[in-house]
Amino acid sequence: MTGLLLTLLALPVALSVYLATMVARSQTPAAFTDGGARLPGWAVIFGSGGVVLSGIDLPAHLALVGRYGLQASHLALGLIPAALALILVQKRLWLAARIAGTQSAGEALASYYGSVTLRLVMLTLAALFALPFAAQLLGGAGDFLAALTGNAVPRGVAIWVLAFALFLPAVIGGWRGVVLAVAVQSLMLAVLTAASTGFAEATLSAAGYLQQGMTLSDGILSDRIPGVIQYSAGIGKEPVQGGIFTTLALLSSALAFMGLLLSPAMLYLGMTARAGRNLAFATVWGIAGVVVGLLVLLAPFLAARMQGGATGLVAGLAGVDQLAAASLAVLFLALRLVATAFFVTSGTLLVVRELVLPFVLPNLDARGGRLTARIALAVAFALVAAIATFSPLGAAVFASLALPMAAQMFPALLGLAFVRWISRSAVLTGLILGFLAVFFTEPPGLILFEGLFLDLPWGRWPLTIHSAAWGLVLNVGAVLLVSIFTRQGAERQARDLLHDEFAAHWRTDFGGRAARAAKWSLVLIWAFLAIGPGAILGNSFFSQPVFTEGDAALGVPSLWVWQLLFWLAGVPLVWWLAYRSGLGLTTDVGIRTLRLPATVQAQERQAPDWIAASLARVTER
Amino acid sequence: MQVDQTEDKLDRHALVVAVWLAAGAIALVLFHFGFGAGGRGWLAGGFAAVLAGFASHVIVNAVTGTGFTPREVALGLVAMLAALLALVLATLLVVGFSAQFFLPVSGGLICLVLAVVLTMVTRHGPRRAFEVFDVIRDNNRRAASALPHRGGRK
Repeated sequence: MTGLLLTLLALPVALSVYLATMVARSQTPAAFTDGGARLPGWAVIFGSGGVVLSGIDLPAHLALVGRYGLQASHLALGLIPAALALILVQKRLWLAARIAGTQSAGEALASYYGSVTLRLVMLTLAALFALPFAAQLLGGAGDFLAALTGNAVPRGVAIWVLAFALFLPAVIGGWRGVVLAVAVQSLMLAVLTAASTGFAEATLSAAGYLQQGMTLSDGILSDRIPGVIQYSAGIGKEPVQGGIFTTLALLSSALAFMGLLLSPAMLYLGMTARAGRNLAFATVWGIAGVVVGLLVLLAPFLAARMQGGATGLVAGLAGVDQLAAASLAVLFLALRLVATAFFVTSGTLLVVRELVLPFVLPNLDARGGRLTARIALAVAFALVAAIATFSPLGAAVFASLALPMAAQMFPALLGLAFVRWISRSAVLTGLILGFLAVFFTEPPGLILFEGLFLDLPWGRWPLTIHSAAWGLVLNVGAVLLVSIFTRQGAERQARDLLHDEFAAHWRTDFGGRAARAAKWSLVLIWAFLAIGPGAILGNSFFSQPVFTEGDAALGVPSLWVWQLLFWLAGVPLVWWLAYRSGLGLTTDVGIRTLRLPATVQAQERQAPDWIAASLARVTER
Repeated sequence: MQVDQTEDKLDRHALVVAVWLAAGAIALVLFHFGFGAGGRGWLAGGFAAVLAGFASHVIVNAVTGTGFTPREVALGLVAMLAALLALVLATLLVVGFSAQFFLPVSGGLICLVLAVVLTMVTRHGPRRAFEVFDVIRDNNRRAASALPHRGGRK
């Protein structure tokens, strides 16, 4: 099957290169790094969904479901509050880009709060996604390809060839080329995921999920959530009874998903989109609708057949039809490669746009800027391939920080979007505490501290609470406390500039008092019942109804029905905010530009003295 | 403005490619399995995937306010003729093909043709749909032929 698999794999690569070439012919050099901020709506819609599906590492998610059953599958519902968080800030960021001329989330935050530190934090996060996070995904794809081909394509070769295949569209077509390629493949991913699951169910003779459920290790509850909280010291310190996905783990993991959706790359995708309904459509139907639906509906089926791993399922399918098996293998590979291409390209372009071009090489023209971006992309893809090949463990350890750390940006983004009294010092204090909490409840901090000093009494995710939540609790607490004392600080006037413009011309219509109360209370009720403590009711709500003596014979686990029900209830919630409140609807008409005091205009950009002197030492010899 | 128009064309082209990549991948697998161990039902599934791809293409045209480009029409015609030729050759040369696959494959192809006809009729109306193929009318065109009472609508 190796030949067939490699041929099929070459097709999307060739297609991506073709699209990137077409883009390169039509776009100006200046548009290389941002696609002219006119990305087509459909590409943003498909691309967002595909990157989320790929960014959660679907093969790894399926392995998790295969290990922990429906309690792990329940994680997918966490994408709905994450989508709510995205829709809250995305439109205001899009507007800030047009009003204040800030082209990325980092630049917007830096200009709004007047803080270089925030720009650096966003660039660090972009690098975290572009290097270790992407390297972990690329390494997984390399492992899978090597295993499938029986090491006919060794792991290292697979990683470098795949990295080169991802690099080509990026270096040819820039941001627009990669987004189009990602969007085209995202649709294929969604359709193939559904079709492959159906094909496997229809053709494989072994019993599937509906016949025999999932076979899990002893002590793991396959179709139940193991409690609201478990008083465990954390992963690596103490095993958790019944599985780690308590309702608090599910709720806090939703905050980590928020980190994926609020990552610098995803925000950049939204900010460079055309005006229209695409942000709403992407969030409501793409993420909350299709992605969550695919995960909730299909993950149990695929996971039940992946007890021997993804390679086992592909091998089983190869016994039925070689082409179907090869397509499934391409699906599993593409599921990792889409996010790799997206995060490496966006991270690199953000660093080039925000750091290299304005501060290191401020005098370059558009063609020079494009060349710089291309060289940076070559370096970034080589680095990612090197990390994935030679340091997979390091990549995995540092990748664990990406989502929870990105989630810590939520208070800062919320401040820019709606809450004008959140001050710079509050945001910075919150970020420091949040990052520290995340660092010390994830492997990098634990390994470092325990290696240098002494064993900590907690492990990863103590009390089955995800590090993103530990960080956000401290972060939000600090933001509220510090804002009390600094909300009228010197930089308040600068923040008011943007908010006054929002209030005057871009007011968000949350409706009357009753509608407002209904919106927020429904969201809270949904969160409590779907992923909060109330989700524990789903364990037996449909199999042992409360008002009857007997059991109901559903034929499927009660928790699965609960998940489906709250997926269907969650989509209208996102729809309500995105469409009815207009948070996902954008228009170019009536935008007035204004200048925030901390914005550095293009003509004012110059390299700091120490950077200029360092460059001169190298270049003027 | 020129760049914008080129970008719009490219965006539409990429969307059409996306639609056909997804539908084509599914159709290919279903046809492969259908002609192998699967049988007629899977072949019908393959044709359904092609029909879904065509319907999505029509939706893309409607959303972007465009029609099929000449290249797309040419590619579609070539693909259809290739499929017909393959059906004829397989019926004549492959032993047992006609007994097992002639009906589902020819039925599927007829469905595709019907879908194309239906699309043209709904988009252009019956008479203009026919006139698209009426090349004789344009062979020796005179100015008077464009007069309304002579039937000149082009």
